[in-house]
Amino acid sequence: MSKTQGHPRAGKTPENSRTIAVVRASLPRRYRSERRFRLLGLAAVVLSLGFLALMFASLLANGVSAFRQTEIRLPVHFDPEVLHAEALAQADYGQLIRASLGRLFPDVEGRRERRELAALVSSAAVYDLRDLVMRDPGVIGQTREVWLKAGADIDMAVKGHFRRDLPEAERRVSDRQFAWLERLAAEGRLEKRFNRTFFTAGDSREPEQAGIWGAVSGSFFTLAVTLMLSFPIGVAAAVYLEEFARKGRITDLIEVNINNLAAVPSIVFGLLGLAVFLNFLHLPRSAPLVGGLVLTLMTLPTIIIAGRSALKSVPPSIREAALGVGASRMQTVLHHVLPLALPGMLTGTIIGMARALGESAPLLMIGMVAFIVEIPKGFTDPATVLPVQIYLWADSPERAFVERTSAAILVLLAFLVVMNAGAIWLRKRFERRW
Amino acid sequence: MKRLTVVSLALVFCLAAVIPARAQQRDAISIVGSSTVYPFATVVAERFGKAGGFKTPKIESTGTGGGFKLFCAGVGVQHPDISNASRAIKASEFETCQKNGVTEIVEVKIGFDGIVLANSKKAPPLSFTSKDIFLALAKEVPDPKGGEALVANPYKTWKEVNPALPDVKIEVLGPPPTSGTRDAFLELAMERGALAFESLKKLSKEDAKKFQKVFASLREDGGWVDAGENDNLIVQKLVANPNAVGIFGFSFLDQNTDKIQGAKVDGHVPSFENIADGKYPLSRPLFFYVKKAHVGVIPGIQEYLAEFTSEKAWGKDGYLSEKGLIPLPEAERKKVAENVKNLVVLKEAK
Amino acid sequence: MPPFVLLAVLLAFSAAAYHLGRRRAFALAGAGGRAQRLHSRPNYHGALVALWCALPAILLFALWLAFESQVITRIVVEGLPEPQRSLPGDRLSLIVNDIRNVAGGRFEETAADPAVREAAATYRRLLGLSRQALAVVTLSLAAAMALLVRRRLRPTLRARNHVEGILTAMLVACSTIAVFTTVGIVLSVVYEAVLFFRIIPVGEFLFGLSWSPQMAIRADQVGASGAFGAVPVFLGTALISAIAMVVAVPIGLMSAIYLSEYAGKSFRAVAKPLIEILAGIPTVVYGFFAALTVAPFVRDAGGLLGLDVASESALAAGVVMGIMIIPFVCSLSDDFINAVPQSLRDGAYSLGATRSETVRRVVVPAALPGIMGGILLAVSRAIGETMIVVMAAGLAANLTVNPLKAVTTVTVQIVTLLIGDQEFDSPKTLAAFALGLVLFVVTLCLNVIALYIVRRYREQYE
Repeated sequence: MSKTQGHPRAGKTPENSRTIAVVRASLPRRYRSERRFRLLGLAAVVLSLGFLALMFASLLANGVSAFRQTEIRLPVHFDPEVLHAEALAQADYGQLIRASLGRLFPDVEGRRERRELAALVSSAAVYDLRDLVMRDPGVIGQTREVWLKAGADIDMAVKGHFRRDLPEAERRVSDRQFAWLERLAAEGRLEKRFNRTFFTAGDSREPEQAGIWGAVSGSFFTLAVTLMLSFPIGVAAAVYLEEFARKGRITDLIEVNINNLAAVPSIVFGLLGLAVFLNFLHLPRSAPLVGGLVLTLMTLPTIIIAGRSALKSVPPSIREAALGVGASRMQTVLHHVLPLALPGMLTGTIIGMARALGESAPLLMIGMVAFIVEIPKGFTDPATVLPVQIYLWADSPERAFVERTSAAILVLLAFLVVMNAGAIWLRKRFERRW
Repeated sequence: MKRLTVVSLALVFCLAAVIPARAQQRDAISIVGSSTVYPFATVVAERFGKAGGFKTPKIESTGTGGGFKLFCAGVGVQHPDISNASRAIKASEFETCQKNGVTEIVEVKIGFDGIVLANSKKAPPLSFTSKDIFLALAKEVPDPKGGEALVANPYKTWKEVNPALPDVKIEVLGPPPTSGTRDAFLELAMERGALAFESLKKLSKEDAKKFQKVFASLREDGGWVDAGENDNLIVQKLVANPNAVGIFGFSFLDQNTDKIQGAKVDGHVPSFENIADGKYPLSRPLFFYVKKAHVGVIPGIQEYLAEFTSEKAWGKDGYLSEKGLIPLPEAERKKVAENVKNLVVLKEAK
Repeated sequence: MPPFVLLAVLLAFSAAAYHLGRRRAFALAGAGGRAQRLHSRPNYHGALVALWCALPAILLFALWLAFESQVITRIVVEGLPEPQRSLPGDRLSLIVNDIRNVAGGRFEETAADPAVREAAATYRRLLGLSRQALAVVTLSLAAAMALLVRRRLRPTLRARNHVEGILTAMLVACSTIAVFTTVGIVLSVVYEAVLFFRIIPVGEFLFGLSWSPQMAIRADQVGASGAFGAVPVFLGTALISAIAMVVAVPIGLMSAIYLSEYAGKSFRAVAKPLIEILAGIPTVVYGFFAALTVAPFVRDAGGLLGLDVASESALAAGVVMGIMIIPFVCSLSDDFINAVPQSLRDGAYSLGATRSETVRRVVVPAALPGIMGGILLAVSRAIGETMIVVMAAGLAANLTVNPLKAVTTVTVQIVTLLIGDQEFDSPKTLAAFALGLVLFVVTLCLNVIALYIVRRYREQYE
């Protein structure tokens, strides 16, 4: 071999020209393999992105309709007979709605038919009416056109999830109701409008009244705790283990430990949280604080492992140069190594946080899989998180929750995209500076 | 420096150890327990919260057993006030409660839940007798060639079990052994089916334990598939696989009548009316249990109980029936409501 | 003053202390900025003062808040009338809760008991008093410490070493958290696992070939063959993880190579974060995807080929899990491939190697320790993944390596055993803890082996 690597001029020898011939002959094959390899790589990327696109497409197809909600415009007469000024909160608002529907469809008679008619409007619409009256008591005695949410089954029917050609007994919307809907639509009283409730309300058992804001707030508080704890601790631990710790039994032990923790099923962290935070430290159940602590323990190993790799990839020459001009080891690390390693550490943190954002199994053990209507306002209020909300909705019998499940997943993914975008921006900034 | 490290470490851990001192505080009802009762309890809780006056109760779906474990841990703010259950409290659980100072428990029976066998609309409707169910799913069945001996279940298709049934492979997706629904299914369907055999009927009288082992052992050769706790997933798996039969709560059938159909059991379709008047054989009562010591201390418990036991909630046309809860007969409703009002304490578990 | 405000003020104090210390150091150095007279740079003097100002005060702050409510509650309880005061602890906690609710302004109208209302008033008064005292005490402690340390600043003071010592201590504390987590996990699992092993012998659990946790637990319940042999469960886990790795490693690694070696800058900037999103999709979504799309597809495709495929095949769950894991392999490998020095590539090119040859013969071997680390992380994620297998793989514990059959995994068993409707102290539930413990030990062994292998690889390329 050494001969073939000689000076080009020496290439005149017969031996060399033979080598060149061999190389030339092999070139097409090598180029082919090069192209193959490249295509293979591209195919892998395209395949991964294809899976992503597939997921998104199916979610969008299922979930996008949840962002709009069928509403019915009714001329509601705010009857002073029903609304007594001193007890506005307890008044029977359902009666107002029934009366209004009765005026629109005066020919409806019989108990069964009336029930079906009343079912056009959501059973939760009374709370919207109540809020309206409480906000503006001046409407009492007047008649106003009010947009009210349609019932979940009606909403599904309008969105085309119940086929009309099925026998009547097998769908949840009767022929009569379809006829009424057609009349309402013809009169311009039926519309699909932007579903604000979905973004502003907490959980509910009535699909049309259910929203994700409670879960989003819960996720926010939980992740805030996780980020505040896991990022500094993770970076500190990585720095110590990589830059300061003497390589020996103890660091080996810690390293094995951390790798092992990354492999522990997340539900085991839930067991730990139950034993330590709830039973020993007596922190409140279902609180974002505890959820955040459990998720911190869960994400720490990921962040530490990624952080150590990032530190490893900083060339030793940087350290040697800093030490050479008289910096202490701490100065070397803080001023030179750490800033260079931060982009890599951020990547690890993002992966860890993304995992924390989508995690539900450990929260099961600490009471965060719960029905919570009120929006959490702090770190110790009972709360649930987005993936748990998705899990709960996915297990709900009502059909209208199917599209809401997908919609909630879309929202979760949107957060993920925002997080990643922020991280890329951060990464870029750090990279520019160094 | 080393000393400094040690000192600071010690300080950190001291700090960690003192934090427990923070006691808890609660101003809303806390409910745990069965995932079967969960959809009904949440509806009541939500209405109760919306009506104003009190915060919406927090409801966790922990399973009946997990719920009792939490509920019976003691009296105090950190323990839940109410535990939902898809079966009556067991003697052992009742004892645990007593031991931990939870001496006064109020039992509230709220209604029935039907257990249905269903398959996809794409397949023909099915009609089982409980004998068919037993023959298709038991691990050991009486020898089809006659005789008293029990043999390993030889049936592969429904047709072999009963010529009236279609000629497809037996594949039943049902709840796992940890589920209360499974226990109920065993007692309601399998036991009934087993009793249809003279030899087993005799056995039940002679050796109750052995008989129980016969009807409660489900086959493990693929005919029965443990399908997890998520009933919605079972419904969707049925749609994807028209040959399979699924077992789950009535409310999931009620919501998906356009995709799946309930099988007749002993000649009765699983409908609201049939379950309510007891014609459909596979139905079980649902309960919740209240800690009397918490009533009047945790705000709103009494009001929550009143809401749950009001006619507009659990009555015949109440909003719980819309969600698929089968109401108690009227007389029993009145009796339970009366008991709840007076907070009559449970004396012993059955 | 609310605690958060107080904390902010404390930090402001600390910042002020930093400037105080720094100015003092400059003053010590003398006019004309002759900082070389000092042992440490003025910044370190400042930092030392700031640290001593903040740390003791924060410690006190935390301790105070931790004990505050206990002490106040004790005082309030002492003031209650006799029958209530001598109630047992749990009952008392209910009354205290009531008092706190009233003190917090909730449900004032429902608390009819005048004693409770009075106690609430006391509680509120004491709390206010305590908060004022806390503010005064911590802030004066902070100021006193800052002034004290400032007075002790000398030109010869080794301020930098002191500051670095404190920082190192903090770093050590952070890195031991992982160890404490492990200890915590072991402690919280071992007790129940020991209870379980008292009922089921360890040998039977570890080497038993049949898993069917349906034995009679309650007196009134009868299960099938109650067998607790964990081998099928672990084999199932290994099978599904292996399928996942077969999917994830080639795709992830090739994606990483393409992104770092071939792709243009803008394509890479878009594609990499997009792939990372795959890791963030909640696993519930993958579970539905596996159970409702992939599994029927696999079953039908197998049916066309004349194969007998179970509805809940290991293949479907494994493939979907593989998709989920792609970003772990890809993202981490990509980082390590990027970290390979350009000089190695240039060297290979100058010898006439094509790009793919460079990648295969030079870059990947050089990045191998890191890539192995990434793959190991992915394997651990696969082993620990729960929701996908819960939905798609089912619970049937078959002892098989046939990917077309249904298998179950450790995590599925843990979840179903823990959140069922059964009684909580039964061997069924305890089995979950035993599984958790064994899983923990198995992964520990795997990691020790992995560490050893990675070390050997690394020696070759450094």
